[in-house]
Amino acid sequence: MAVSRVVMPKLSEQMETGKIIKWLKQEGDRVQSGDILAEVETDKADVEMEAFGSGVLRKILVAAGSQAPVGALIGVIGEPDDDIASVVSQAGAGGPAPAAPAAAPAAAAPTEMASRPAAVPPQPRGEDHAARTPAPAAGPTAPARAAAVETAPAARPAPPTEPPGRVKASPLARKIAAQSGVDLRLVQGSGPGGRVVRRDVEAVSTGAGRPAAVAAVAAGAEFEDRPLSQMRAAIAKRMPLSKAPVPHFYVSSDVAMDRGWALREELNGLQGQPKISVNDLVVRACALALLQHPGVNASFQGESIRVFHRAHIGIAVALEDGLITPVLRDAHAKSLGQIATEARDLAERARQRKLRAPEMSGATFSISNLGMFEVTEFSAIINPPEGAILAVGTVRTTPVVTDTGVGVGRRMMLTLSCDHRVMDGAMGARFLQDVKQLLEEPLRLLV
Amino acid sequence: MAKSFDVVVVGSGPGGYVAAIRAAQLGLSVAAVEDDRPGGVCLNWGCIPTKALLRNAEVVHLVEHAERFGIKVDNVRADYAEAIKRSRGVADRMAKGVEFLFRKNKITLFPGTGTLTSKTSVEVKGASGTETLEARAIILATGSEPRSLPGVTIDEKTVISSNGAVRNEGRPASLVVIGAGAVGMEFADVYAAYGTRVTVLEALDRVLPVEDAEASALVARLFGRRGITIKTGVKVSAVEVGGPGAVVETGEGRIEAEQVLMAVGRGARTAGIGLEGLGIELERGFVKVSPTMETSVKGVYSIGDMAGAPLLAHKAMAEGVVAAEAIAGRTPRPLDYTNVPSCTYCRPQVASIGFSEAKARDNGREIMVGKFPFTASGKAVALGETDGFVKVVADKASGEILGVHIVGPEATEIIHEFAVGRTLEATVEEIVHTIHAHPTLSEAALEATLAALGQAIHV
Repeated sequence: MAVSRVVMPKLSEQMETGKIIKWLKQEGDRVQSGDILAEVETDKADVEMEAFGSGVLRKILVAAGSQAPVGALIGVIGEPDDDIASVVSQAGAGGPAPAAPAAAPAAAAPTEMASRPAAVPPQPRGEDHAARTPAPAAGPTAPARAAAVETAPAARPAPPTEPPGRVKASPLARKIAAQSGVDLRLVQGSGPGGRVVRRDVEAVSTGAGRPAAVAAVAAGAEFEDRPLSQMRAAIAKRMPLSKAPVPHFYVSSDVAMDRGWALREELNGLQGQPKISVNDLVVRACALALLQHPGVNASFQGESIRVFHRAHIGIAVALEDGLITPVLRDAHAKSLGQIATEARDLAERARQRKLRAPEMSGATFSISNLGMFEVTEFSAIINPPEGAILAVGTVRTTPVVTDTGVGVGRRMMLTLSCDHRVMDGAMGARFLQDVKQLLEEPLRLLV
Repeated sequence: MAKSFDVVVVGSGPGGYVAAIRAAQLGLSVAAVEDDRPGGVCLNWGCIPTKALLRNAEVVHLVEHAERFGIKVDNVRADYAEAIKRSRGVADRMAKGVEFLFRKNKITLFPGTGTLTSKTSVEVKGASGTETLEARAIILATGSEPRSLPGVTIDEKTVISSNGAVRNEGRPASLVVIGAGAVGMEFADVYAAYGTRVTVLEALDRVLPVEDAEASALVARLFGRRGITIKTGVKVSAVEVGGPGAVVETGEGRIEAEQVLMAVGRGARTAGIGLEGLGIELERGFVKVSPTMETSVKGVYSIGDMAGAPLLAHKAMAEGVVAAEAIAGRTPRPLDYTNVPSCTYCRPQVASIGFSEAKARDNGREIMVGKFPFTASGKAVALGETDGFVKVVADKASGEILGVHIVGPEATEIIHEFAVGRTLEATVEEIVHTIHAHPTLSEAALEATLAALGQAIHV
């Protein structure tokens, strides 16, 4: 077994140093992959630093309470008989350790990782779309994650992606979670050793959206610390799990909405018909396209890819203190009018927090639309275990080149975020192309 | 000069002695105050001696039916006084065991009656005088005592309680048992096995009213087959002592018997221990406690029968552990009172955990029910003990094991498979994926669970 170097992880783009709050493993302790080694304080949050490789924590080089620059060697993991002298001696420099042999993508930490933060600080973000993070090169690189341990040269490279962490949960808790759409990874276990038991799942499935306590703010204070609402806390906990382990790539397309707009106006002029929104057109188009592209309507399952034969589409709805994504089931089998009626009902009840648990789970694909805020384009974070999410911008009037010259047209930017483990660029692109075609020839949405 | 301890436990029944031992294990200095023998009612006058008597009853039954096994036994004489003597011997041995455990754990035993004089002191009145014990924390575990009906005095001769029944070497020719709960049914079983004409009266509509209705019905039928008269829905209006015994007045007429066994329930022993002086709150006759067994007065804990239902030794023991750990500064997991097994040791045994089928339905759960009769169990047939069944009630959607009801051989042992399963939040799926040894009685647990899923093999 090789000697592994434990280094200060880079936990945010801005992070330069981190402080060890405390070591949860002591020198001589055997550590297993997944064990929490230490708690690290960054400018943003306190983060648990998890070990990937296994062995004995041979040496702690940065004591609790001390700071270390990102990349600095802070500990060594190895077997009891491994010679760690040469590794330890590098620590004297105090600065970042030499880069791992495999070149790291620019923004991210080294690719060969033996550790990951158990949680990363929430990124600044809008509703469910990130302020576009410096994109990891869209390619088969490892997801951008903070590394806490670099494997020494002799070591086997760590797998580029790791299976999702096993959650300790009772069989009953698992079943109830599956039935009520609760993501066990987000549930704080109250059983022995943090095991998730039934009451924990029930607390989450019934307690979501409890209003936040309002903190008293002293007049003139420079800042205030607002307590997290349950929803905010859930989002904060979930998003790193959505973003970090899922290698996102993005494909965008500008869609001509002139005919779609006209069709919608015509439909909405009819008496006794439900009002159709642009988003309803997009939902319908996606539902039809998903049937043609089951590879996009799919979920990464570790050992396999689950391809869905039905399109259950999650529609992100903004709430005052968060967002929720009710699910429009069997969207592929529903007419535009049905979609419009159901989507409005779901959104309405989402805002009133009256959704039932099954209505908040089971999506196979999601749509997030910020058009109403005149957002031109954005990219959304995939909602695991779904394989993709479509970010919809506003319908804007813009100069367009026509056969005869330059005219005025209505355009809408669509950006598809795809899980690279499930699909490749071309697959996402072909799907988006079909969505575009359906929207540009909108009569197809009516048949 | 008062003697000082970290913990003083008043009462050394199953709650008290377990609390004392656990506290001592956690490094606390512990005193136990006991006005009887260590072990309390359970060990001396309740659970243990009655189990010895029931074993005697079972042996009598086996010998009487030895011919079924091809064994001829002549001149059988079953001496009831000997049964009581054996039972006392068993109780003595277990009480000595508790005394040994106290010595082993360096727990000081103070014989006498304990009374709270403040929230940190207990006055012990013993044969050799009175002394005061100072304590950082006090655990009250004074238990319960048999209740009677209004206007009926228990004299332990003609009108007896379980206290008299475990002591009396004389066996009446006829007995009316008032109350068909666990105590009433167990003594009915014992006395009937030795030849007493037994009539059991129950005010509710069935015997063992806390059990699933199917369990009650089967036990009543089997008791009836053995010549025990069971009358349910019968209200006793008076018990008159006189002549050769007593007359029990009921709405359906008078019943004469040599003795009457009062088995209508037990009440907490809360009087005379100084609760009022400290303002310790009661609730429906029981001491009100927090999830860590602390009373309304900080530092004073209460466990076992006096702290509320169910009045079961194993619940008291578990509460004793919680109280001791809380006092030692640990954060014990509070008891799950929905997961306390209930056991009756008559023949056939009855054991259950969780909801009855009716209760599960009342809760609005969509349920699945599986039942497996011991007649289909190879082990039970080989034993010649085929009366009974295992019944599993589970939530249809999640497979949660809502309740299990067992009537039959070693029912009180088999139940723990489900107790552990429920503690771990196993569902029916985990039970059916567990390989059960063949042939065992526990296979019936597997089969009943399979039956709930519509997959039973052997029925």
